[in-house]
Amino acid sequence: MKFCVCIKQVPDVQAAVQTGRMVLNAYDASAVEEALVLNAENGDPVDLVLVGPSTATETIRKALAMGATDATHLVAEDGGEADSHSIAALLASHFEGHEYDVILTGKQSQDSDAGLAGAMLAERLSLPYATNAVGLAVEGNKLVVTRQGDSGQEIIALETPCLVTCSNDMNNPRIPALKGIMAAKRKQIATEHVAAPSARTAHSGTVDPPGREPGIKLEGEPEDIVADLVRRLDTEAGVL
Amino acid sequence: MSSILVFCSVQDGRIKRSSLEAMSRAREVASEAGLSLSAAILGSESGNLSSEAMSYGAEQVFTVSNPVLDSHLNAPALSALESIIREASPRMMVAASTESVKDILGALAIRCDAAVLPDVATFEMSGNQVACQRPVMAAKKLASTSSAHPLVFVSVRSGSYEASRSPVSGTVTDVPFSFDDATLRQALREVVTTASDTVDLSEARVVVSAGRGVRDESGRALVQELADITGAAIGASRAVVETGLFPATAQIGQTGKVVSPDLYFAVGISGAVQHTAGMANSRIIVAINKDADAPIFDIATYGLVGDCFTILPLLNAALKEAKD
Ligand SMILES: Cc1cc2nc3c(=O)[nH]c(=O)nc-3n(C[C@H](O)[C@H](O)[C@H](O)COP(=O)(O)OP(=O)(O)OC[C@H]3O[C@@H](n4cnc5c(N)ncnc54)[C@H](O)[C@@H]3O)c2cc1C
Ligand SMILES: Nc1ncnc2c1ncn2[C@@H]1O[C@H](COP(=O)(O)O)[C@@H](O)[C@H]1O
Repeated sequence: MKFCVCIKQVPDVQAAVQTGRMVLNAYDASAVEEALVLNAENGDPVDLVLVGPSTATETIRKALAMGATDATHLVAEDGGEADSHSIAALLASHFEGHEYDVILTGKQSQDSDAGLAGAMLAERLSLPYATNAVGLAVEGNKLVVTRQGDSGQEIIALETPCLVTCSNDMNNPRIPALKGIMAAKRKQIATEHVAAPSARTAHSGTVDPPGREPGIKLEGEPEDIVADLVRRLDTEAGVL
Repeated sequence: MSSILVFCSVQDGRIKRSSLEAMSRAREVASEAGLSLSAAILGSESGNLSSEAMSYGAEQVFTVSNPVLDSHLNAPALSALESIIREASPRMMVAASTESVKDILGALAIRCDAAVLPDVATFEMSGNQVACQRPVMAAKKLASTSSAHPLVFVSVRSGSYEASRSPVSGTVTDVPFSFDDATLRQALREVVTTASDTVDLSEARVVVSAGRGVRDESGRALVQELADITGAAIGASRAVVETGLFPATAQIGQTGKVVSPDLYFAVGISGAVQHTAGMANSRIIVAINKDADAPIFDIATYGLVGDCFTILPLLNAALKEAKD
């Protein structure tokens, strides 16, 4: 099947201090991995599309190095105001000119945790969709999705063309090998300059979440610290 | 009068507690803003649940009672909610941030021309804006976000507000709904659940959570015993879910579920930001870890430094004794 994966460049949220280092959204990396696995035998394309500033090229190259076929970079220099709404609108106009059997997105952006752009894009393109996928399988012209629901896993068969948003619990994305990295360097990336359509939400800054009261560390003989804990849970915390 | 419409998620024949929490907050916001409070309930039980919504303050309840809505499939749920929103024309729709809600929120916003503030920790109306605070960067930061759009959807993280009753006698409107199966283009084949899926993690007062340190079956049995003694639901880190010892439904964190119980046991969990994103709002956190420098100790109320295979048998015995 012909896949296209929507990928986003995000700050490295794991870093203790933000240094401006940017990475491929982990959920999108899992989407790329899954498409590559599903198409490994048949050689069908796994294309990419990214909306972001020109400096996001490095993230596109990283996903190409994993083995993706072709990439389109929708260059939006000032993406600061964009929300999932504006991104979905831009992606929708891209897909109006490109036919795919399956569009994959991440289930959410690691930095904003919005989790909206995928379903928004599906609705704009009138595609059947499933979210929070932890497994994908091709069955004739259908895509069988295992999604993590509220209680248990739901197995849903989607007619193609369709869209699926992927969880990182689906797989462990490959680390690109040197050969892939070299090949990705030579690949032509189609670029197109776009202006982000207006967002529906506005951002007015971030604060640190309220901190927790400092806790108590209990060290020593296991018998003693367990007795101490049970007493504290009962008398101090009142949770027993 | 315009309203705040609360979408009530139903599970096992009742409205989820997280929906009632969201409804309780929506009721306050509505009364401050001079709006009325209404509720939307889907599925064949929706008629019976109307009175419960009213006991939390819903003056008008919109139901779509078609049984196709009893198991979650996004296309029919979207159509049903779209019909209710057209009928109710609310200023805001509020819902608990469950997987089923996350599944439809984006598509529904496009269909109904709404703005979305997803997965918020707090929300309010200020002037003509809906404003919220929402965790970002794996919950290391709280972002202030707002929207002045005429229709705003808000999904609320579980445990953000207390559920409180405020009974009114309301009206019920069953909204006409016809759905053409032929337009579905999707089919739910099966729902695979495990025994532990019957306890709703996000509603549990006590959660016992296992990490990679729990290691094997014998560790799992110790964790299970602690959960049985404390009446807890079982959670897990991503690392231990990957080993297959615990089901994916138990995963807590950025990818998994958000919980905020009174008491959270983190057993053999290092405390990566992606895990704490889902549990840092628990009231009391007990961490058991053999590494005295594990980051989980930074947020633990009580941190026990030691091997969980030594600590848990002692703790289980002591808790059993304390209970008797
Ligand atoms: C995009 C993204 C999303 C993610 N989402 C999630 C998520 O939702 N939930 C989640 O949990 N993780 C998530 N992760 C993974 C996260 O980064 C960590 O890898 C994971 O939480 C680690 O799990 P752990 O603490 O069990 O394992 P480890 O980090 O391996 O820690 C094991 C701990 O057990 C202790 N230990 C070992 N043996 C014993 C013993 N006998 N007694 C006591 N202590 C012992 C060790 O000292 C150590 O601290 C995500 C990662 C990414 C990139
Ligand atoms: N700037 C972007 N370019 C391409 N895809 C994006 C972009 N932003 C978001 N997406 C896709 O939409 C998913 C969910 O985004 P969000 O609604 O921001 O959580 C991501 O995992 C990506 O697959």
